[in-house]
Amino acid sequence: MVTTRIGRAWTGGEGRGLLADPGLTLAFLVGGGALALFVLYPTVRVLVYPGVEDYLAIPRSVRWMQAARNSLLSTVLSTTTAVLIGLAFAFATTRPDVPGRRFFRSVALLPLFAPPFMVAFSYILLFGRQGLVSRHLLGLDVNIFGPQGLWMVQTVAFFPLAMLVIAGVLESVNPSLEQAARNLGADEWQVVRSVTLALARPGIAGAALVVAISVLADFGNAVVIAGGWPLLATEAWFRMEGMADLRGASLVVALLMVPTTALFLVERYWVGRRRYTTITGRGSRLERPPTYPPLKWVAFAVCALMSALVLLVYLGVLAGAFTAVWGRDWSLTLDHWHLASDRVAALWASLRVAAGAGLVTAVAGILLAFLTSRALPLRKVLDFLAVLPGALPGVFVGVGFVLAFNRPPLELVGTPWVLVLALAFWHLPLGYQAAVAQLQQVDRSIEEAAANLGARGLHLLRDVYLPLLARAFVEGFSVSFVRAVTNVSIAVFLVSPGNVVATFAILNMIGNGIWGGAAALTTMLLLVTFASLGLARLVVGRVVRPLPAG
Amino acid sequence: MDVRRWWLVVVFFVVASALPAGAQARRVVVYSALPDLETSLINREFTRRTGIAVEALSVAAAGALAARIRAEKDRPRADIFVGGSADFHAPLAREGLLQPYRSPVAREARISPAFVDRDGYWHGWYLGILSIIVNTERWDREMAPRRLPKPATWDDLLRPEFRGHFIMPSPVTTGAGYIFVAGQIFRLGEDRGWAYLRELNRNATLYTPTAPGTITLLERGEAIVAMMWAHEAIGARRVRFQPLEVIVPPDTAFEIGAVSILRGAANPEGARAYVDFLLTRTPQDINARYGFRYPVRADVEPPAGAPPFESVKFVRYDREWAIANMERLRERWSREIGR
Repeated sequence: MVTTRIGRAWTGGEGRGLLADPGLTLAFLVGGGALALFVLYPTVRVLVYPGVEDYLAIPRSVRWMQAARNSLLSTVLSTTTAVLIGLAFAFATTRPDVPGRRFFRSVALLPLFAPPFMVAFSYILLFGRQGLVSRHLLGLDVNIFGPQGLWMVQTVAFFPLAMLVIAGVLESVNPSLEQAARNLGADEWQVVRSVTLALARPGIAGAALVVAISVLADFGNAVVIAGGWPLLATEAWFRMEGMADLRGASLVVALLMVPTTALFLVERYWVGRRRYTTITGRGSRLERPPTYPPLKWVAFAVCALMSALVLLVYLGVLAGAFTAVWGRDWSLTLDHWHLASDRVAALWASLRVAAGAGLVTAVAGILLAFLTSRALPLRKVLDFLAVLPGALPGVFVGVGFVLAFNRPPLELVGTPWVLVLALAFWHLPLGYQAAVAQLQQVDRSIEEAAANLGARGLHLLRDVYLPLLARAFVEGFSVSFVRAVTNVSIAVFLVSPGNVVATFAILNMIGNGIWGGAAALTTMLLLVTFASLGLARLVVGRVVRPLPAG
Repeated sequence: MDVRRWWLVVVFFVVASALPAGAQARRVVVYSALPDLETSLINREFTRRTGIAVEALSVAAAGALAARIRAEKDRPRADIFVGGSADFHAPLAREGLLQPYRSPVAREARISPAFVDRDGYWHGWYLGILSIIVNTERWDREMAPRRLPKPATWDDLLRPEFRGHFIMPSPVTTGAGYIFVAGQIFRLGEDRGWAYLRELNRNATLYTPTAPGTITLLERGEAIVAMMWAHEAIGARRVRFQPLEVIVPPDTAFEIGAVSILRGAANPEGARAYVDFLLTRTPQDINARYGFRYPVRADVEPPAGAPPFESVKFVRYDREWAIANMERLRERWSREIGR
């Protein structure tokens, strides 16, 4: 039985087997090998680091059980709000008649650019007990530290992820389907509910998955805002930072993987049941009818409110870069910029590393999405490994790479490469999910037409899928690039002397209380990131033909 | 679109990134838990004296560096681990990740044997003391009108007026918080020590997960009274002009800031020269001047704005007991205090 099944898988259904196609075989080996080497191997190295008795002691640890409960609670809360707001943004930014949609989209991308420490600090400044907004404007005495503050910060930090994933799918919803529903007598609410949202369901599910595991693994915000409220991701970090306890950290991460795996299975079960095909290859030039007004204005209001919040946070950082002594002496100064300009080398190091990571993430994400959409052996395993890194806190990945690549045959530690690869594969789920969401929109008939014309295996990927996946590539590259630029948790473990990246320098400045310099360097980092991302999009826009209409 | 163009970019990246990373000989690689400023000033002086180049990685958290050293144990990337309490160095020594050395300078300078590891795995070269810190701006506004005297002893922290206004680093996740808890147990005995901590917990709004977090929040006015390293607060006051007052209560505890040599260091002679150098006057002077940490040498000026070390009354702190009971006390904290 088993032999037959494997045999069938290897010769492939529908004549697209592995053995029949050397190109596909090669892609399979490269993709699978990369996952085994850069995802599975470091993970296993960390998981086997503690002993069995360490694992058995977990349920007896009061603090860890608290952390597990808190992590679940914050994940449910933050994911719900982040996805709802992300949905509102995705909806607003894909409707041409919503006012200010380009502005909303740009603002919504901002939180992705921010090193987490800075944003969370800006929150304290704005909404803390002595906060500019909370105390001086509203006269409140609020405590931002704890679950309530974390909920707010994580919602703002992660709704852009939800927006990106959902917008990618909403954009490719064919307006003619909505029109058809209208012609059949559906009212606007029914159209939205049973056509638009139904077609966006893989996007929403994918977004919820990405956001939920990001929230679970988030320590940058939690470390500043959660205060004394223990969470799994921060617990792993504190074990490491405060107690130098690698064993404990590995254990916490093992705990963290339980809910993540569960999330993964739920998402597969829910989304995997239906296929949604809207790019039919026939194209559509249909104009969108005006958006249902109540819906339009609700989306507009949500976007406006959130945009104001995001901008406020950024103004806080900007103000800090020009303020003499943050919180005390509000006179303007350029001193912090002199201090920050000593660290320019770190800025360039950040850009080099992030560009490499973005490239690897995007290429690997598309390759793997393509492979897992085929009837190939082990595709479920590949799929799992491709989203697994999203479940791992950065600290875990950092330590995993050190444990795995600090000795021959692959002695990467000490080179910039180790940081590039760790970041690239940590962000792989983002590139992968974006590519999968796009692939699910592609009609099989396009591919079959190409196959009938003689395209096979890799040619299919190149000639049929890549143009359609150009968007996934740009999104995958951008998100991975930006997150690599802003990453702290992995950099802490993998930077080597003489190879320091900017976020690492910022973290050190914050650790030493040099807030002004940190704010200035953050501002510089943001500017350079925006500039290089704009440049990259310009270049990519010329190389890649735009999507067919739809 | 042309796939080959993408592959060219990828190949270019592979080649370009594989090129560097040639090893340099004769330099000393230092993992430093001290801030950038002190680290670079001290290293510059070391290079000037000895002609040995230094490559330093400065991380504001000693625990992160110690974890990194553990992770890299198959092939150590550094020669020296400097800064951070000896509590971080001692476990590394137990795990066989450090190599012993007895610096002749420690003897010549008559540095107290209490500050040097018995087996020579680490040398203490600076000291930090725990203290009570007050945000004077909020104190003057909210506490002074009620004619309250500032807290002068650990027991003063229990005053009901401080409810909701006290913060300190978490004993579970930071060295400072743990040394405080152990110090209270040495001061009051195990049972009364825990009773004290439970009572103190009623005043605490927050146990910050990192030690610098306490100073940051106190500066911001998120609390009025805190327990923290004196040198951090003195630095905040003198360098960043923050309204903080440092009060050193009797029966306080201190940390020994240590330096150690990694086993398998690529440049052991250079590393030994570095340890010798840290025990001389200049680096301890730099550290006192810019980091406000106490020198272990009697012939170096103590930091400005700090009480003389000899005038401070310390609790009888059994460092070995504290390290051996760390796991148990932290577990009990989680169970009884629960945050």
